[in-house]
Amino acid sequence: MPMFQVKPVCGGDVKIDLPTCMYKLPNVHAQQGNSCSSEHALQNGEVDPAVKVLEARQDEILRKLYELKAAVEGLAKTVNTPDADLDVTVSSSFSSQSSSSTMLKGSTDLDTLLGKDLGALRDIVINANPAQPPVTLLVLHSLLCQRYQVLSTVHVHSSVSNVSPQLLSCLGPRHPDSYARHLFQLGFTLIWKDVPKLEMKFSVRNMCPIEGEANVARFLFKLLAPYPSDHAAATLVDSWVDTAFFQLAEGSTKERAAVLRALNSALGRSTWTAGPEFSLADVACYCCVLRSGSAASVPANVQRWIKACENLGHFGPAKLLLQ
Amino acid sequence: MFFLFLFFKDFAKDRYGVSVMVQSQQKLDRVLVRVQDLTPEKADQLIWLRARIHTSRAKGKQCFLVLRQQQFNVQALVAVGDRASKQMVKFAANINKESIVDVEAVVRKVEQKIESCSQQDVELHIERIFVISQAEPRLPLQLEDAIRPDGEGEEEGRATVNQDTRLDNRVIDLRTTTSQAIFRLQSGVCQLFRDTLTKKGFVEIQTPKIISAASEGGANVFTVSYFKTSAYLAQSPQLYKQMCICADFDKVFCVGPVFRAEDSNTHRHLTEFVGLDIEMAFNYHYHEVIDSITDTMVQIFKGLRDNFQTEIQTVNKQFPSEPFKFLEPTLRLEYTEAVAMLHEAGVEMGDEDDLRSACITHLYDTDFYVLDKYPLAVRPFYTMPDPNNPKYSNSYDMFMRGEEILSGAQRVHDPELLTERALHHQIDLEKIKSYIDSFRYGAPPHGGGGIGLERVCMLYLGLHNVRQTSMFPRDPKRLTP
Repeated sequence: MPMFQVKPVCGGDVKIDLPTCMYKLPNVHAQQGNSCSSEHALQNGEVDPAVKVLEARQDEILRKLYELKAAVEGLAKTVNTPDADLDVTVSSSFSSQSSSSTMLKGSTDLDTLLGKDLGALRDIVINANPAQPPVTLLVLHSLLCQRYQVLSTVHVHSSVSNVSPQLLSCLGPRHPDSYARHLFQLGFTLIWKDVPKLEMKFSVRNMCPIEGEANVARFLFKLLAPYPSDHAAATLVDSWVDTAFFQLAEGSTKERAAVLRALNSALGRSTWTAGPEFSLADVACYCCVLRSGSAASVPANVQRWIKACENLGHFGPAKLLLQ
Repeated sequence: MFFLFLFFKDFAKDRYGVSVMVQSQQKLDRVLVRVQDLTPEKADQLIWLRARIHTSRAKGKQCFLVLRQQQFNVQALVAVGDRASKQMVKFAANINKESIVDVEAVVRKVEQKIESCSQQDVELHIERIFVISQAEPRLPLQLEDAIRPDGEGEEEGRATVNQDTRLDNRVIDLRTTTSQAIFRLQSGVCQLFRDTLTKKGFVEIQTPKIISAASEGGANVFTVSYFKTSAYLAQSPQLYKQMCICADFDKVFCVGPVFRAEDSNTHRHLTEFVGLDIEMAFNYHYHEVIDSITDTMVQIFKGLRDNFQTEIQTVNKQFPSEPFKFLEPTLRLEYTEAVAMLHEAGVEMGDEDDLRSACITHLYDTDFYVLDKYPLAVRPFYTMPDPNNPKYSNSYDMFMRGEEILSGAQRVHDPELLTERALHHQIDLEKIKSYIDSFRYGAPPHGGGGIGLERVCMLYLGLHNVRQTSMFPRDPKRLTP
């Protein structure tokens, strides 16, 4: 748009005498020399090609990083989920079970069951009252010693004063290598203590204590063999264990007689209490039958079964203690 | 009006007063009954006894006193009647606290139990009272304040006595029931230690405390001037215990002072304490030594549990704590196991003592345990290295309530190996020449360890400062009383 012109007010070339007593600064507004042009964006917003290349490389690297991160997260999910591992081992152990008449089968791995060995002996600590010795646990201890290298110790806690020598030696003689704890896979520490109910402690950090002889027996038996894969069979075992501890050991004379009759008929149908295989039910029933004191007057099948148990060879310490 | 006083003659003036100082002027054939024997069986008997005035309170025509003898006290009464006059009652009320008095009194049964005294079923009706030794009227500390539990003091706004005041006036502080109980228990520890070891065939020895070379090495040793040279106060009887083993004493123990010039001002360090030390030769494995030491400790704990319950309860009244728990045989874990337990709990090396002991206590429920196989680098030069792993040693520490009470090991009994280990620790061989020489003429394999009497008592009772279990403690800031 044309504007009206005004004549210049003053001439273009006015001579100014710059003072020499002040210091000089370079002119901020003057154009720089050609040698520095690559560091600045040019006037019209275009970006220097070298910078563009740099940016492209950066974007590429960031994209690759994001891809890697996603991949690692995916891996972490699959590795950390406990079910992933356990399903594999459990299903393999189930498939390997056959119905032969060996006593204990099934692959069990201490690391899977009890957690990774971190350098401290995996010690099972059982606090029991000397007035009620946990006979089933002694049988299970004997079975454990057959399968693993077990360091067994018996202690007396300061809360009790007099414990019979029989109870002190109930886990058998001291292992000759017992001074070298690291040679053993498992620790079995029995402490005679003034406790109202039997309790077992394993890993203070990962597990709360387990109370009651039946429950501790279940835990220990899992270290020897898994429960039967058939849920009905597993429930049968559990039911016999509870019957043994509640009705056979603590019940009235009538209850005990009823249980013995039931046991007799069960043993008429199968070799062992809960089916064709030896199980925790047999250990529990044997100990509770003997503890109830009626071992002499039991029905025929039960008598035969008692002898069969004793022939297996791990019920010695229990029988000794209950006499 | 003044003349009326002349009529109020004191008819009881022969039955009270301040006695002349007992300078053994005469032998009196008098039986003094102990306060702890004042029971209903003695009802209506006239007896003499000597005790301290614990408190006195006048109330009109009567004065109630509490007479104290060590841990026992009994209520006593002076009442105006045919045996006591008003002046006598006034005299009794004004006797300074802590004064020692001889009292003749009739023992009377009471219907209501006197809860505040140890003798709850009887009280004394005083007929004669004489001051044998007077205490100054202003006491530096009050005994009721000294046995008040700290919490109670704060709650009710009553005074308690701080530790420095107690230690500055130790003679009075030791009179409290709590102090009496603590030191009786300590005496029991010493006695059980001696008896148990003697039964095991150990011989008690005495070792010199003025020695020519620092036994443990390092700078924590007191120097004494010794004629024209200087000598040191023994940091432990270590070297002499071992020489006794080489001299065929087989199993020895000693009870004596130990001097450590450590400038540590903590709740568990003293510069002088009583060391109970054990050393024994063994046959094939140093665990024989550990078994012996732990069994001795267990016998001591059992002896205290079974015979000193009164003392333990007395201390607990002022300083409540959990009873001491232990296992027999003693729990023994390996050092690496304890480290692994900590890793499992997610803790790295550092401030791990409390956590480790918490883990162990929680799992096994014991306040006493042994950690075996410590790393070689942290042990003294005379410690025998582990045969299978040169990084570890045949050494062990024992803990009570999570604090270390004993450091022990199998000792090096071979002079060549001993020299090599000493050089490795940069110890001047000249200074320990006689020590090394003692192993040159046939030395049996041996090991041992030592505990501090004060620390063991403090931890057994669950107290928090070792000065409470040391009668006249010595630390970097205290040299008297």
